[in-house]
Amino acid sequence: MGCSSSSTKTRRSDTSLRAALIIQNWYRGYKARLKARQHYALTIFQSIEYADEQGQMQLSTFFSFMLENYTHIHKEELELRNQSLESEQDMRDRWDYVDSIDVPDSYNGPRLQFPLTCTDIDLLLEAFKEQQILHAHYVLEVLFETKKVLKQMPNFTHIQTSPSKEVTICGDLHGKLDDLFLIFYKNGLPSERNPYVFNGDFVDRGKNSIEILMILCVSFLVYPNDLHLNRGNHEDFMMNLRYGFTKEILHKYKLHGKRILQILEEFYAWLPIGTIVDNEILVIHGGISETTDLNLLHRVERNKMKSVLIPPTETNRDHDTDSKHNKVGVTFNAHGRIKTNGSPTEHLTEHEWEQIIDILWSDPRGKNGCFPNTCRGGGCYFGPDVTSKILNKYQLKMLIRSHECKPEGYEICHDGKVVTIFSASNYYEEGSNRGAYIKLCSGTTPRFFQYQVTKATCFQPLRQRVDTMENSAIKILRERVISRKSDLTRAFQLQDHRKSGKLSVSQWAFCMENILGLNLPWRSLSSNLVNIDQNGNVEYMSSSQNIRIEKPVQEAHSTLVETLYRYRSDLEIIFNAIDTDHSGLISVEEFRAMWKLFSSHYNVHIDDSQVNKLANIMDLNKDGSIDFNEFLKAFYVVHRCEDLMKPDVTNLG
Amino acid sequence: MAPKKPEPKKEAAKPAPAPAPAPAPAPAPAPEAPKEPAFDPKSVKFKEAFSLFDRTPTGEMKITYGQCGDVLRALGQNPTNAEVLRVLGKPKPEEMNVKMLDFETFLPILQHISRNKEQGTYEDFVEGLRVFDKESNGTVMGAELRHVLATLGEKMTEAEVEQLLAGQEDANGCINYEAFVKHIMSG
Repeated sequence: MGCSSSSTKTRRSDTSLRAALIIQNWYRGYKARLKARQHYALTIFQSIEYADEQGQMQLSTFFSFMLENYTHIHKEELELRNQSLESEQDMRDRWDYVDSIDVPDSYNGPRLQFPLTCTDIDLLLEAFKEQQILHAHYVLEVLFETKKVLKQMPNFTHIQTSPSKEVTICGDLHGKLDDLFLIFYKNGLPSERNPYVFNGDFVDRGKNSIEILMILCVSFLVYPNDLHLNRGNHEDFMMNLRYGFTKEILHKYKLHGKRILQILEEFYAWLPIGTIVDNEILVIHGGISETTDLNLLHRVERNKMKSVLIPPTETNRDHDTDSKHNKVGVTFNAHGRIKTNGSPTEHLTEHEWEQIIDILWSDPRGKNGCFPNTCRGGGCYFGPDVTSKILNKYQLKMLIRSHECKPEGYEICHDGKVVTIFSASNYYEEGSNRGAYIKLCSGTTPRFFQYQVTKATCFQPLRQRVDTMENSAIKILRERVISRKSDLTRAFQLQDHRKSGKLSVSQWAFCMENILGLNLPWRSLSSNLVNIDQNGNVEYMSSSQNIRIEKPVQEAHSTLVETLYRYRSDLEIIFNAIDTDHSGLISVEEFRAMWKLFSSHYNVHIDDSQVNKLANIMDLNKDGSIDFNEFLKAFYVVHRCEDLMKPDVTNLG
Repeated sequence: MAPKKPEPKKEAAKPAPAPAPAPAPAPAPAPEAPKEPAFDPKSVKFKEAFSLFDRTPTGEMKITYGQCGDVLRALGQNPTNAEVLRVLGKPKPEEMNVKMLDFETFLPILQHISRNKEQGTYEDFVEGLRVFDKESNGTVMGAELRHVLATLGEKMTEAEVEQLLAGQEDANGCINYEAFVKHIMSG
C-alpha cells in the first residue's frame, strides 16, 4: 500500500542519512589526524633547521676567535699568498676567467651567444629540462657579464608598476628547478611586459642551484630593467660551503669549479640589497630592525659585504694595533679575501655590516620590540611596532620579504604590513609545503598564487605523502638524538635515581628538550623515538637501539666519533676555509692546530692524544696530508631498520 | 608556522620548569627532576598537542572555535560537527574564526567528548557503507557514494570527497568497501 511503501522509503533514507553521517565523521577525523601529523613533521623540520642556523653563530664567533689566535704556520706560504693576492687583482681580466677556457667541439650542451637574447633563455630552459649541464666557459662568462652590469646598479632598485605591467615577486628557490619551471609555466617568462623580482636564496639545499642561477642571470642580462635580483643570506660563499652549493659546483664542474667559486664570491657581493616598488613597497630578503637606516643602506658600499661569517674585526677600525698584536695578515678563507691588515677602507664599519645583516637575516614575530635573533645567529626578531615605525619613517606601506618557509607558501602578518613569500614548494620533504608568488600593481591589493610541485610518479594519496614526510622528519630527529648520545645519557642517568633504566615521560621530555635545544612536542613524539613500557615509562636507552654512528676506525673512541659526527658541518666549513687551494687536503699540522682551537672554543673535551692518533690514521699515505672530505664522509649514521638495508650517508647540510 | 622560540611567556605555559634550552656543547647541566604535575599526566600531552595548533602570534595557548573540531579529532576523538557546535554553546558562524578557546576551557570539552561512547567502530563504518551496496557484493558505486556524501548529513565538499575516494575506485567505478575501510582505519 502507499503508506507502507513510503515508510520503507523513509526508513531507507534514514539509514542512508545515518550511514552518510558515519562516513563523513570518519573522514573528518581521518583528515584532522593526518593534518596534525603533517604539522608535527613540519615542526620537527623547522626546529632543526633553525637550530642549525644557530650553529652558524658559533661558527662565526669561532672564525673571529681563529683570526685572533691563529698565526699561520708557514710563513713562505703567506708571502706567496700576498703575492698571489696582487696578481688576483689583475685576474679580474676576462681572459683569465673566461676566455682561457675552451668549449670543446664534443660539447653537446647549450651554447650561448653574447650579447644574449631571449633565444638564449629558451635554449637554457630546454637544456636544463633535459638535465644537461652548461659548460663552465658559459657559466663563467654569464657570471662575469652579470657582475659587470650589477656593478652599475644602486643598492636598491626602484621600479614602477602599472595596470598593464604588474610585477611578480618570488621568494626563496633554493636550487629547486622544478619550482622555477612551474612559476614560468604558470606566469610566463620574464620580459618587458612581465617583470620579476627574485628575492634572494636562489641557491643551496636543492640540487639545481647553478641552473637556477644561470637562468636568472641570463634573464637578467637580456632584461636588465625587468628582472630584479635581491641578495639573500645564502648568496654568501661561506653559507654555500655548509648548505650544498659549493659541493654542487665542485661536483658538476670538476675541472673549473674552483674558478666558478672564485667569481661567485664577488658576484654575490654585487647583488643589490633590495627593491622598492612604486615608492611604497620594500622588498628585501630577511627583514628589518628598529635601527634600520635606509638612507645609510642606500649609500653603503655593498660589495664589501663578503659573508655573514666574516664580521669586521677590531683592526678594521684601528690600523695601528696591527703591529702590536703581531698579526701578519692572517688570511683565513678560501682565497685570502679577508685581510686583517688591509686598510680600513677595504671593509665596512661594524654598524654598516650589522645593517646589512639585519636586512638579510631578520624575522618578523608577533611580540612588540626588537630582539636578537638567537635562533638564526644573525639579524633580529622584529615586532609589529618596529614595522610600523620603520615603514612610517620612510613613507612605505608594506614590507615583502622571504627567508622563512611557510606551509601555504606565503603568510601575512603585522596587520597586513609584512608579507612573507616563499617559492620553494616541498622544501623540507615531498608534501611539506606549497610555494607561492605575488603579483603586484599599484592601487590594487596584491594577488597570491600558490602551487606545489609533484613528481610524475607522485600522485600519491595524501596519506602516503604525510607518511613520507613524517618518516623523513623522524629520521632526522633520530640522527640528532644519536649525535648527542653521551650528553643525553648523562642527563638521563642523573634523573634516574634508582638506576632502573626508566624515566617518566615528563623527565624524559625535559632532558630531551634541554640537551637538544629543540622546542618540540616530545610527549607526542615519544612513541616514535623510544620504547614505552606498560606503565607508561620511558626506557631511555632504547632510542639508540636501532641506530648508531659508523666508526671509521676501530681505534676511535666513541665520544670522539660522536663529536666529530655532530660537528661535521662546521668542521667541513672550517677545513674548506683552511684549504685555500681547494685541493681537498690539509696538512696534519694544520689539522692539529685547528682542532686545538676548535676544541677550546667549542668547549669540547677530547684529549689531544686521541685526535693526534686519529689524524695519523687518516693520513693514509703518510705524506703529511689529510683528505678531509674522505675524513668527514667516514662519519655517517647507520640505521638498523627493517626497511634500510644499507647505511645512509646523511647530509647535515 | 614558525616554532615557538624560548621566550619567557612560553616557559610559563609548560608544566616542567625548563631553563632556557642551551644548544651549546657544554656538558649536560645537573637539573632538578621536574615536579610531576598535580593533574592527569595525559593532559600534559594534550596540552603539548594543543600548543601546536596555537596560531596566535604571541603563543597565548589559544585556538579559535573553528579549530576546536580539528584539535579534538587530532587527539583521537570523533565528534560530529553538530556535537562540536553543541559543546561550544552553539556559536554563530561568524564567531567561529573570531572567538578563542584556551586550554583550560578546552580540556573539559575534550573530556566530555571522550566520554561519548558512541564512537563509531570499524563495524559501524562498514555497516554504513553496506547500505549503498545495492548488489550485496562487497562493492559500492563510487558515483553514488560521492553524491550521498556531498548531499546528505554533514555535507562534504567535492574536494573533500575527491580526497577521500582518491585511488579507491576500480575501472568500473566500484569501490570495495572493506578494503576501503581498512585503508582509512590504518591512517
